[in-house]
Amino acid sequence: MKNDRAVVTGLGVVSPIGTGVEAFWNAACKGTNGIAPLTSFDTTGFRTSVGAEVKDFSAGSFLAPSQVSSMGRSSQFAVAASKMALADAGLDIAKHDPYRTGVSFGTTMGEPQVLEEGIERLYGATGSADALPEDLPRKYPCGVISANVASALGACGPVIMIPTACAAGNYAIGYAHDLIRRGMADVVIAGGSDPISKIAFTGFNRLLATAKECCRPFDKNRDGMAVGEGAGSLVLESLSHAKKRGAKIYAEVLGYGLGCDAFKMTIPDPSGSGGILALTTALAHANIGPDAVDYVSAHGTGTEENDRTETLIIKTVLGERAKSVPVSSLKSMIGHTMGAASAIEAAACCLTMSHGVILPTINYRTPDPECDLDYVPNAARSASINIAVSNAYAFGGNTSSLVLGRFKG
Amino acid sequence: MEPKIVITTASAIHCLGRNLDEISASLALPPRTSYLKDFGFHSLSKDTPCFRIGDFEPEAILGKKGLRTKDHATKLLLSAIELGFKDLFESTPEPARPGLCIGTSFGSVQSIGDFLSDAIINGFHNVNPQAFANTVINAPTSNANIRYLSRALSSTVSTTFNAGLDALAYAAMFLRRGYASWLIAGGLEELSYYALIGLDKNGSLSASGVCAPFGATADGTVAGEGCAVFCLETEEHAKSRGAHIIAELAGIASCFDPKKGPQGFNLAGDGCRHAMRQACGDAGISLSDIAFVAASAGGVPDGDTMEAGALAGLFPKTPVAAYKAKTGECIGASSCISTACALADMKAQRVSGIGNAYPLSLPVNLVFETRTGVPAEFVLINSFSCDGYCGSIVLKNRS
Repeated sequence: MKNDRAVVTGLGVVSPIGTGVEAFWNAACKGTNGIAPLTSFDTTGFRTSVGAEVKDFSAGSFLAPSQVSSMGRSSQFAVAASKMALADAGLDIAKHDPYRTGVSFGTTMGEPQVLEEGIERLYGATGSADALPEDLPRKYPCGVISANVASALGACGPVIMIPTACAAGNYAIGYAHDLIRRGMADVVIAGGSDPISKIAFTGFNRLLATAKECCRPFDKNRDGMAVGEGAGSLVLESLSHAKKRGAKIYAEVLGYGLGCDAFKMTIPDPSGSGGILALTTALAHANIGPDAVDYVSAHGTGTEENDRTETLIIKTVLGERAKSVPVSSLKSMIGHTMGAASAIEAAACCLTMSHGVILPTINYRTPDPECDLDYVPNAARSASINIAVSNAYAFGGNTSSLVLGRFKG
Repeated sequence: MEPKIVITTASAIHCLGRNLDEISASLALPPRTSYLKDFGFHSLSKDTPCFRIGDFEPEAILGKKGLRTKDHATKLLLSAIELGFKDLFESTPEPARPGLCIGTSFGSVQSIGDFLSDAIINGFHNVNPQAFANTVINAPTSNANIRYLSRALSSTVSTTFNAGLDALAYAAMFLRRGYASWLIAGGLEELSYYALIGLDKNGSLSASGVCAPFGATADGTVAGEGCAVFCLETEEHAKSRGAHIIAELAGIASCFDPKKGPQGFNLAGDGCRHAMRQACGDAGISLSDIAFVAASAGGVPDGDTMEAGALAGLFPKTPVAAYKAKTGECIGASSCISTACALADMKAQRVSGIGNAYPLSLPVNLVFETRTGVPAEFVLINSFSCDGYCGSIVLKNRS
């Protein structure tokens, strides 16, 4: 048991407001709205026609043609984000022990487009299983996402996929942090990825959980989330490894906490039990108190239930401190990117600390008496952040909080 | 000093049985395959041999309440937990109840496919919103958290054929890091139209319907379904509550092999050799301490060849059990079902054989006739996937 510290040395983002850290960050600081009418499929007759698609992504920029055709969109996003993160870290895995490099990713739906295409073919010409694509078994199971990242990067260490729905990115980053803290890897590529899918769009629409025009988290008139897609990838590295090669350090992963509402599959426990457990545990593992928290990157989906419950969670755990801590939701700009969400949000937290800028919650107009915190409405804000907490919650009541700290040697 | 991780309870839903004693008895019997063809919206082109749980009646185990919207995968998991841990949950105050970590490759892919099929046939606007909850891969685990009011952890691991073993590794990490004192962890997989079609299209299904691991004429595997779950806890926690310790999870290793052959496996076996060595290293033992190996082999020629080569190099004389001949390829559940079989054999001081001898493709010390009077202190369990996932664990007999 080495107990080395885990630091973030590289970031990669594929998002509805930009691919690449610079494009994403510049757009986010401007409060760019990435939610627009969907183009991937026909939305006629649904409650909403909007979502958050990645518009500027070219898989061919990151993958060889044979790799593009052998992977689903989620894998393509994950590999692209991870290659960008490694480039950002200035890290060449081939020059290090491959068995000391791992991959830890999360997802909600995995590769749903692969199955959607297969089933639509099944109902097409013949109705026979012969119509299912030959490569379906190799492209569909969500475990192939992490495997594709590891194969593309040449990682031979521990590789895992943790599909804990919309909190999956935090779970994956937390596990990566554990691999490093326990001395099982020097480098772990951690993140989350999800493509937009008919299944998710249909399901959230049928649950009346989707916003009609835009996503306005914590606003009194919020009417739901916007289904999105993307990927976030972080290079986590042991501090000793990072120092040895003179790497720049964005932040340190100080700890994380997990929990479960054990309440309902599709709505949070209104008492916030699981979220309170996750946030309390995260602060304890990070060995900090509520007063040390400078910023909360909210799960902030824009649904009635989530935003009210998350506000309660923050107030319960942070106490008096909650009133003075800025809380913002990236989902107001990039929609709900499912399993990618908390990975992208963790990357944003790293950038927030390194740039001294808190991203805004856009589309915020009308305060809600039940959501009475500082949500950084509509405009980015300069601030020095030493400790950032990122919350992520999910279907099934999965709850998580990640604590990131400005690196102090 | 990290805590030792021990196994104190095992439960299963599988055609071999529901607990270690039933599994132990079934291992002495010939394989029990049955046939599957129809899956609601779709049917296979012919009756397909598989290892089904023929007498599975979830309502008899779980009662009727709350099952209407639950899919088959969820019912398998809930039933395994109910049979093995109902008393444990009921006797433990809610905040102290163990969390859950379950490995599965597909979750309920049948639910996802049915959701889409329903949408295509009846219109996307008419699909049952309640069915949407079953489409997330973590649905079985989360449903179990809800049923048993387990709040400490709800985690799902999905590393294709290695998911069960990696769930044990995840749980062990959680315990070793001191995040919890006990957890319920295991593997789960349902038989689904899509998994069977997938295995068939991958060239992995046996046309003969016989699973002959390492066999020179093996023509593929036979799919299975099931769930095996274990109570993992720190030794200190187990002793403090007076729990009977079955075994210690002494060594754990997982790695990845990015090199691929035609069926996905790296025939050179770099990853699987590394995993086996690392698991023994983690347990602090040498390779010669392993009493027998529970192989990953399931009759898929390239996978078996890869493992046979690695075993020939590392364990040339060690007996090798191939439980999949009798359990089938249960994908994400396989390694945990093999773990249950190994625990049953350790308890009985034997290594279960396949029964019928057949020519081998490579020299492996495969056990055909059951060997009795084998007091195993350490057993190695392998799980190697065509996607590159490689994992091994070492069990230390504590019974």
